[in-house]
Amino acid sequence: MIKKTTARLVAISAAYAVTAMAQPAVAQDKVAVANAATAQAAPAAEGGKMVLPNGQDITPATMENGRWYTEEGIPTFKIAEDGTTDYSTFSGYRRYSAECHVCHGPDGEGSTYAPALKDSVKTLDYYQFQEIVASGKQEVSKAANLVMPAFGTNKNVWCYIDDIYVYLLARGVGDLPRGRPAKKEAKSDEFAAQENACMEG
Amino acid sequence: MASKRREIMKRLLKGATLALLLTGSSALANESVLAEIAKPQQWAIQTGDYANTRYSTLDKINKDNVKDLRVAWTFSTGVLRGHEGSPLVIGDVMYVHTPFPNNVFALDLNDNGKILWRYEPQQDPNVIAVMCCDTVYRGLAYADGTILLHQADTTLVALDSKTGEVKWSVKTGDPAIGETNTATVLPVKDKVIVGVSGGEYGVRGRVTAYSLADGSEVWKAYSTGPDAEMLVDPEKTMHLGKPIGADSSLQSWEGDQWKIGGGTTWGWYSYDPELNLVYYGTGNPSTWNPAQRPGDNKWSMTIMARDADTGMAKWFYQMTPHDEWDFDGINEMILTNQTRDGTERKLLTHFDRNGLGYTLDRETGELLVAEKYDPAVNWTTGVDMDPNSENYGRPAVVAEYSTEQNGEDVNSTGICPAALGSKDQQPAAFSPKTNLFYVPTNHVCMDYEPFRVAYTAGQPYVGATLSMYPAPNSHGGMGNFIAWDNTKGEIKWSLPEQFSVWSGALATAGDIVFYGTLEGYLKAVDAETGKELYKFKTPSGIIGNVMTYEHGGKQYVGILSGVGGWAGIGLAAGLTNPNEGLGAVGGYAALSQYTELGGQLTVFELPG
Repeated sequence: MIKKTTARLVAISAAYAVTAMAQPAVAQDKVAVANAATAQAAPAAEGGKMVLPNGQDITPATMENGRWYTEEGIPTFKIAEDGTTDYSTFSGYRRYSAECHVCHGPDGEGSTYAPALKDSVKTLDYYQFQEIVASGKQEVSKAANLVMPAFGTNKNVWCYIDDIYVYLLARGVGDLPRGRPAKKEAKSDEFAAQENACMEG
Repeated sequence: MASKRREIMKRLLKGATLALLLTGSSALANESVLAEIAKPQQWAIQTGDYANTRYSTLDKINKDNVKDLRVAWTFSTGVLRGHEGSPLVIGDVMYVHTPFPNNVFALDLNDNGKILWRYEPQQDPNVIAVMCCDTVYRGLAYADGTILLHQADTTLVALDSKTGEVKWSVKTGDPAIGETNTATVLPVKDKVIVGVSGGEYGVRGRVTAYSLADGSEVWKAYSTGPDAEMLVDPEKTMHLGKPIGADSSLQSWEGDQWKIGGGTTWGWYSYDPELNLVYYGTGNPSTWNPAQRPGDNKWSMTIMARDADTGMAKWFYQMTPHDEWDFDGINEMILTNQTRDGTERKLLTHFDRNGLGYTLDRETGELLVAEKYDPAVNWTTGVDMDPNSENYGRPAVVAEYSTEQNGEDVNSTGICPAALGSKDQQPAAFSPKTNLFYVPTNHVCMDYEPFRVAYTAGQPYVGATLSMYPAPNSHGGMGNFIAWDNTKGEIKWSLPEQFSVWSGALATAGDIVFYGTLEGYLKAVDAETGKELYKFKTPSGIIGNVMTYEHGGKQYVGILSGVGGWAGIGLAAGLTNPNEGLGAVGGYAALSQYTELGGQLTVFELPG
């Protein structure tokens, strides 16, 4: 566990890690540099709430269609004391592994050329995350050839975009270990109904 | 002509059986590729020769002096991502390629590698986004004073080998629907044979022949669909000795799934000039979720033999009917003439992703051997070898590891090999001196959970999630480098490696075998025993293929470094085994602890 102030520094360097192989520009801060590659910042507790280093509250408050949301209506994960994940986080693991893994590597850990998304979600907010997945992102120069496609029309991604987001949050700031979540809640009827409506709609 | 014949005779004497492929008597329309391949001083084709043996008769570097090998010169490609394939050497010029943006350099071997010309194509970078598994490119081809570049965006360009000027170019696919290129092309006589990538995007696989003279299309043969579009004759195209019959592909799919059904053709191609047959394998059926495509899904996962002039199929052999694990069949077909059971035979040897090493008669397609080349392989108990059995040629699937039988939304665990196969595209080598194959392999297993996916043109169409980890109850590493007897189907020796061996091997008449490792080592081992004789750590991990050439009377060995590709995806962060409990998570070595990105050619020589 890392103290909140350190977590913020980690977040700064993780922002630079969004470009796959960029050097952390905050080299004067040894702690930040040392943690940049393996940032394991825990969400800071503020009055019982879980808050990302960027200030975004990720405390689960309400459930809708089988997914957990914060008070501000942003999707988030919920992992029980015994490690059981909510179904949405598990669904996100599956879809991430099918759609994102071929570039971003297993478990949100990054590859030789694409960033570790488990770290990216700590610095991007939910809406920035959605925008990049929907529209794609390019960084093409003499030094880099990084191109992410737009997934806004891909049902295999877009019907599960919130699941993928909360899975990456759980990987980045929660206690979800690498690999397939060992224990999960069952798929609820509401979740299944919403999934069918989206995939067939 | 006289000197050419002398070269051929030399090969006949030194290279024994494989040289039979290079008879000087045939009246071919265009012998230029054969003539260039026959000069052992050159590396005129990515695969070493048409037979894909990756064997060189050069022997100045040999098992007694290879320990003295040193770096002669190096060349940075200026590109960071995964570097597959190898340079070519034609005469006094070396031709080096890069991954996307697919730059080409002509280097003057008479002037310390001075750049004679360079070609830097302009490609829409959006193609990067539809390339599965990095922007690799497995290299240039040469024919008739022409360098053939097949770009990531499927533009095939013919460059004047002297000047780099464009002679012609043609678009062979459409990246907007996920069609891309990673493979080299095969020049045969007056044609260029071209494949397509995109099995994870629902691309319909095919092989197309273009005119070497002007790039016009000559024939096109799909892997799936109606007979006429597959260039098959229902009565004359054979499968294990029997005609394939009418509508063989259409009957093996449900509905129109074959139209987005994969069977792509991104591997290596070989050619037998005597039989005039081109050999290659087709990739996985789309999607990875077997429940969405009932049937045998012909002709995905198939070894194909086609007439080079017409494209008409002579025989097929489907190795993995109704794939359930993404065991693409695209790995190289190595053509040898060897004695088996006392008779001289024209053989085809293939190390499939599914973990089985196949030996067939390449004239008839008769199946002779199908044995596991990694003892970890567990999804099958073996192939039915009884010609009278209704399951003749089919692998018996172990129910526990059948993702079809376990069903959608069920996680099948402990399947060996993993989807990347006991071996992927990284090509093996064959030495006619030892009659052994030298095979770079993966020693990785997986959990695989298929689920329903929808098709959107130009978007990933995968339909399964998998996690991969080193083969359990073994040496803990993720690779082996093995020597294989293809007539018996037996491993002669096996060298454990920490990471998958993702580099193409080279065997030479110097009784040594070279290969590269993901940490970046170039290694030389004794061809007979496997004993390590030399290693040197290059600047980045090696997924390129080792080549050799002679210049000014001196033998050189060249290798591209530049980690990436499939290996860079899975291994960059290390692999974990979820079945071994929390204690093991993160316990396996991450490649990122050993190497970094960087494209470089390293050329080795002996002192003096």
